[in-house]
Amino acid sequence: MPQDSPARFCPGCGHPIVLMMLNKVLTNLQLTKEAVLGLDIGCSLLAWNFLAINTFQTHHGRVTPTMMGFKRARPDSICFGYTGDGGAYAIGLQSLLYSAKRDEPITILVVNNAVYGMTGGQTAPTTLTGQKTDSDPTGYQGTPWLGPELIRTIAHPKAYLARTAVNDFQQMQDFIKKAIEVQQDGHFSLVEFLSFCPTNWHTAGKATLDYLETMKEVFKTGEI
Amino acid sequence: MHFTILKDCKIITVMLIKICLSGDGGQGVQLISDIICLAAFVDGWQVSQIPNYGLEQRGGVSLSFIKISDQEITYPKFSQPDILLIMSAQARERTKRYSEISNIQFPASNQIQNPNVKGENIKILDIENYKDILHKENIKFLNYNIFFLGLLSKILEEKNICKIDEVVGLLEKKLIDKAGWNENKRAFEIGVDIEY
Amino acid sequence: MDKTRKFLTGAEIVVQACVDAGAEMTYGYPITPATEVFTGWIKRGKKYLQTEDEIAAGFGVCGAVLAGQKVFTSTSGPGHILMQDALSMAEGMRLPFVAIVAQRGGPSSGTVIYSQQEVILACFGGNGEGLRLVYSPSNLSELYTLTRQAFDDAWHYRFPAILLTDGYSLKMRGVVGLSQSQLENILPHPLISRDKVVHWRNIYTFEEELHQEISEARKDFAAVAEIIACSESWQTKDAEILLVAHGIVAAAAKEAVDQLQARGKKVGLFRPITLRPFDRKNLDKVASQANLKKIVVIESSAGQLARLVRDQLAPEISVPFEYMQFPGLGVETETIISHFF
Repeated sequence: MPQDSPARFCPGCGHPIVLMMLNKVLTNLQLTKEAVLGLDIGCSLLAWNFLAINTFQTHHGRVTPTMMGFKRARPDSICFGYTGDGGAYAIGLQSLLYSAKRDEPITILVVNNAVYGMTGGQTAPTTLTGQKTDSDPTGYQGTPWLGPELIRTIAHPKAYLARTAVNDFQQMQDFIKKAIEVQQDGHFSLVEFLSFCPTNWHTAGKATLDYLETMKEVFKTGEI
Repeated sequence: MHFTILKDCKIITVMLIKICLSGDGGQGVQLISDIICLAAFVDGWQVSQIPNYGLEQRGGVSLSFIKISDQEITYPKFSQPDILLIMSAQARERTKRYSEISNIQFPASNQIQNPNVKGENIKILDIENYKDILHKENIKFLNYNIFFLGLLSKILEEKNICKIDEVVGLLEKKLIDKAGWNENKRAFEIGVDIEY
Repeated sequence: MDKTRKFLTGAEIVVQACVDAGAEMTYGYPITPATEVFTGWIKRGKKYLQTEDEIAAGFGVCGAVLAGQKVFTSTSGPGHILMQDALSMAEGMRLPFVAIVAQRGGPSSGTVIYSQQEVILACFGGNGEGLRLVYSPSNLSELYTLTRQAFDDAWHYRFPAILLTDGYSLKMRGVVGLSQSQLENILPHPLISRDKVVHWRNIYTFEEELHQEISEARKDFAAVAEIIACSESWQTKDAEILLVAHGIVAAAAKEAVDQLQARGKKVGLFRPITLRPFDRKNLDKVASQANLKKIVVIESSAGQLARLVRDQLAPEISVPFEYMQFPGLGVETETIISHFF
């Protein structure tokens, strides 16, 4: 897996894991040439030169409509919109819901680490109740969005919506593969990856893994 | 209707007539405007047409601004029409300022003909003045616009802008297959014959 | 009868130009007075998507042009503001983004009718240096040719292109000769294709990296300016007074000049056709004429054109300026003429 420059993800970040799983699946399916990876602006942007597939950055919250446009122009491409929980469920929620409702045949990959990482750890749509963040220093009072569940209420029956976690390598690959198949079949797909952010969680080692397990209590993994 | 400009280093006279049609939304102002414009266009004139639109349109006054000229027209709007049609009280209120004397001053000159801006030569066709004849001839509210179309086409024929026959042709094309054609036809013919 | 002579609305003419330019699709959101460009395109049976807002429309355009499809969008006022997010990405990534913008009254919801108040937004909206191409048609004929040109220039030079018109121009019907002018269309090409892997960013880690990108883009823009910056000088020979106006106001100004000249007034008109890049060469040429006593900038805004003119005018040229400003209002020929008596 070639890289132009050293990976710039924080140590312990979940992004490289997700990206490596994506790469593995695409390589196995021999779809690396057809794949096009659009990136939101958040920590996702750091993936711009990570994989040997066509990759470009978009704007924060705007990767979904961009990939919608790309796919409609080139239906034979395999389009991915790679974003964090903010790009998916806050600033980009409107476009995400509409693309899902229109059943745009693209695959949105949401890396959910319950926090706005790049900007220093503010509250995200998926922040857990009581979680201390930069913008809720005494603990978040609200409740998190359940993205795939929300989308299921408006998506086409054949749309594929799933949630997995970065410590389940097999499940990640299975879900990514399924999502691609659904795209090739002409339907919308979204896979959410529960992920770590030790930098902004202010955790290390076991504590990081523990918090991931805490997240799993709120965000159910599996196909939705 | 005529004024002087310098074109290609020559002083020439421009023919320009400005017509403003107004009525309530639903009275068919845009329909008769379309027919007048098309008649003038087909006759080889330069024509511009623009309606009011947007918020004002919703349940309010419907306006159409028409310019007919022998020179290219590039700016469609005007505040001093030569002919002003008023088909409702709301329209009268809305177009009051168009029949006011403007404060634009042009210096007088023997050689130069100034454009009409003072509203003093304006011909106002106000439905108020035709209420009697409309009643007498039993013309329905629904056909008022076609009555005025007849009147306007007579005026325009007298000014050598288009022929009444042409207008009739275009009117037929638009409405002959629609309900109430006979009433429309009758209203048009009465409009043509009326004094204005 | 001359078959090429037609009586059309501005919107119909813009749609025809987009069709003739070979555009395949539009992404749009209804907003007065641009809606008829969108619905007119749909009436022609062409591909389209009505998105949930102008943001999605703009980024749909970005995605499509990345894939090599000739597309466009159309908007106005508040929609134009939202469109700047996508325009900014197009500016940063040099995407052939084509937008038809119909100016309406502002700020806020303003009016749905007309203004020339989106000049600065079109030229410099977005968080960059205004590296976009902005065309201001003055009549229905130019509405056609400049829309065609916008597509060509966008795909040729890779800068976002805005056809900046207004509600009056799109809603009016006028006589126009649309002879199938044999303008050749530039073929679109994919910016991302399966034959080559690209890693493409619009955010940089270091200031120096961004500065480098901008420097190169500015160089390209300056080179493009040499080729496409355009204006018209009307009756400016020996002019004592120079009117400066663009778009439909320039049409009224032109009529005013013709009438004023007939009365022996030495008034001429400088009309920028591209607002960005501005034709500074010809502006300077006219503004440095010996007999010139003053420049009068006329616009339906409170000085947006005036700002461009003063900014572009060579610093060594010193001529008094006067301003006729009518933000949100139409400007009639008679109003302009009477100013000079």
